[in-house]
Amino acid sequence: MMHNKIINKKLLSLGDRYRIYVLLVLVFAVMTLFAPHFFNAWNLTSIMKTVAMNGTVAIGFTIILIVGQLDLSIGTIITFAAVIGLGLKEAVGYGVSVPLAIIAGGLIGLINGLLVAKVKINSFIVTLGMLTALQGAIYTITGGNTIAVTDDQAFAISDWLQHQIVPTLTPRVVIAIVLVISFSVFLRRTRTGRNFFMVGGNSKTAWLAGVDSDKYTIVAFVISGVMAAIGGILFAMESAAATLNLGTNSLMYVLSATIIGGTSMAGGKGGVFRSFIAVLTLTTLYNGIVLLGLGNEVQIFISGVILASVIFYEAFVEYRHDKIVGQRTELLKELEIVR
Amino acid sequence: MSELEQKKTDLRSVSQTWFSKKLNVAGIYGIVALFILLGIFLQLLGVINNFMTTSNMLNIVDAVSMLGIVALGLAFVTYSGHFADLSIPTTMALTGIVAVQMLQFGFFAAIVSAFIVGTIIGLINAFAIGKLKVNPVIWTLALNYMTLGVIRVIWANKQIYPDMIASSERAVELFDNIYRLRFFNKIAFPMIMLIVLFFLFHFVMSKSKFGIQLKITGAAKKSAEYSGINVERVIGAAFVISALTATLGGLTITSLSRVGAWYNGAGYDFKAVTAIVIGGMTLAGGRGSIIGVLGGVLVIGLMNNLMTLLGVGTFSQDMIRGIIFIIVVGINAKTLRTMGRDDA
Repeated sequence: MMHNKIINKKLLSLGDRYRIYVLLVLVFAVMTLFAPHFFNAWNLTSIMKTVAMNGTVAIGFTIILIVGQLDLSIGTIITFAAVIGLGLKEAVGYGVSVPLAIIAGGLIGLINGLLVAKVKINSFIVTLGMLTALQGAIYTITGGNTIAVTDDQAFAISDWLQHQIVPTLTPRVVIAIVLVISFSVFLRRTRTGRNFFMVGGNSKTAWLAGVDSDKYTIVAFVISGVMAAIGGILFAMESAAATLNLGTNSLMYVLSATIIGGTSMAGGKGGVFRSFIAVLTLTTLYNGIVLLGLGNEVQIFISGVILASVIFYEAFVEYRHDKIVGQRTELLKELEIVR
Repeated sequence: MSELEQKKTDLRSVSQTWFSKKLNVAGIYGIVALFILLGIFLQLLGVINNFMTTSNMLNIVDAVSMLGIVALGLAFVTYSGHFADLSIPTTMALTGIVAVQMLQFGFFAAIVSAFIVGTIIGLINAFAIGKLKVNPVIWTLALNYMTLGVIRVIWANKQIYPDMIASSERAVELFDNIYRLRFFNKIAFPMIMLIVLFFLFHFVMSKSKFGIQLKITGAAKKSAEYSGINVERVIGAAFVISALTATLGGLTITSLSRVGAWYNGAGYDFKAVTAIVIGGMTLAGGRGSIIGVLGGVLVIGLMNNLMTLLGVGTFSQDMIRGIIFIIVVGINAKTLRTMGRDDA
């Protein structure tokens, strides 16, 4: 009887760990069955295009959450990088402007990180201030207009970014996947990567073990800035235009995906690859909702419901765990497996 | 043994004299005074006109009165150590739109139903965050989107106007007057609400039993639990207060714009957090005061007014506001740490 229970718990635990893959398969199956015009190359390519941007941004955001911080400024960094990269193209060409845009993203991340780690201001406040400041900067630079590039070279690059190497895989998607896999390996398989988890799990312990927590926090913010910039600039280059609301929805999108993918807001737990899969799941879901003819309103509502149910579930597990702490150890052991 | 006890002087109590405590509270009003002096100076130089006039001063307070009402309520959430209630924007939008819809049954039905909806949202937050201990930032963000979805599904992106729905002219007039009522032809009704709420909340936060329980909960939740405080209820109450002031703000902003729409109140969450944090309340909880929050609101009002008089564009204002925000908070964190009080 007891043994049976433990096996059940183990199954539950497996389900918990791989829930995002299960969700993806489910969403994909349902949409393929019910949504008209869902399963065809054109639609799948359009899904992958959205995934390429938010998936790249989610890498940085996941690492930020792993070290136990929060970055609200990613949405504006996306737009800022796009504006810099395309705005300076006339003057210096992509060869200089694109690296400049990515460096700008990194610098913004560096400022965020220094303020959080060295001046010790709460990351919520720092990135909120950065969001406001960058929003102003974007509108001041552009005067509120969309930046479009219209010369042949820009269009050639735009075309190249859109061509399909293999069906549904455009160069931008490939870049995103390569980044995701390399960061995933870096975080799981290298000592430096695993130190990020240690800093987020308990920064005091990390410090005592000889890990410079401040340094890792700063690096996490720099990575987040760079990833947001790469996501933004590539998207803008493909559409040959930088609209000013490019990154507006990304914060909610990436935050939801990262949480649903199993990265904890408390820090020390999570994975880049799972976040990417979660971005894919959410994008597929939204795409399917639109194809089902349900419209934007339902999409907003459902994204709220999904996020809420996932955090409710996690809080429930935590709550159940808290309730029996210090009561019966054998019960606790069973729950440990689920957690 | 006695020697040891003698040496055990707590550095924090040394550096925290009566004067430094007062200075800490007065700090934000120092900035208020600084901005007013800057305004007078610029006016004397002839760079700007009409700064030091009664009507301009009233305008400043009038412009931030809605933000003030929302921020005073949200301050309870921040004080309890739960960062912020990000569901404020859609709470404002939903209560406003419900009030407009219910105007067909008269003015009082509208107000009552708005407050019922506000209370329900507050109670949902209270249950999720107080009882189930969900992370407040993501939870309220998720609720914000769900409420937004509810508004947009029910009202299908439409804006509704009080004068097209209300049963009588009288109801429309009363509803419009929430924002437009003027006492002595000058003092607006939202300003009165702000002042009343300020005194009420100041009393509640610093003098009442609930306020003290909230302070302990915010400063050290475990200790509060062990000393017999019903932490879940205290945290829940903070979120209900925040939702109720958001309802007031929602009614006011809907009355101002004369339209019920899903975008009413957008941006008020972050603006209110900015005011609260500039006012010296730390996100870690348990530190700060309502007086400080009002100071923070006034600083934002003065800053906006000065920049507008100077002819700074709206977008550059955003940039400057963001930078000043980080600088003020940075200085605050630095002072707290040199005083030996960790800012966390």
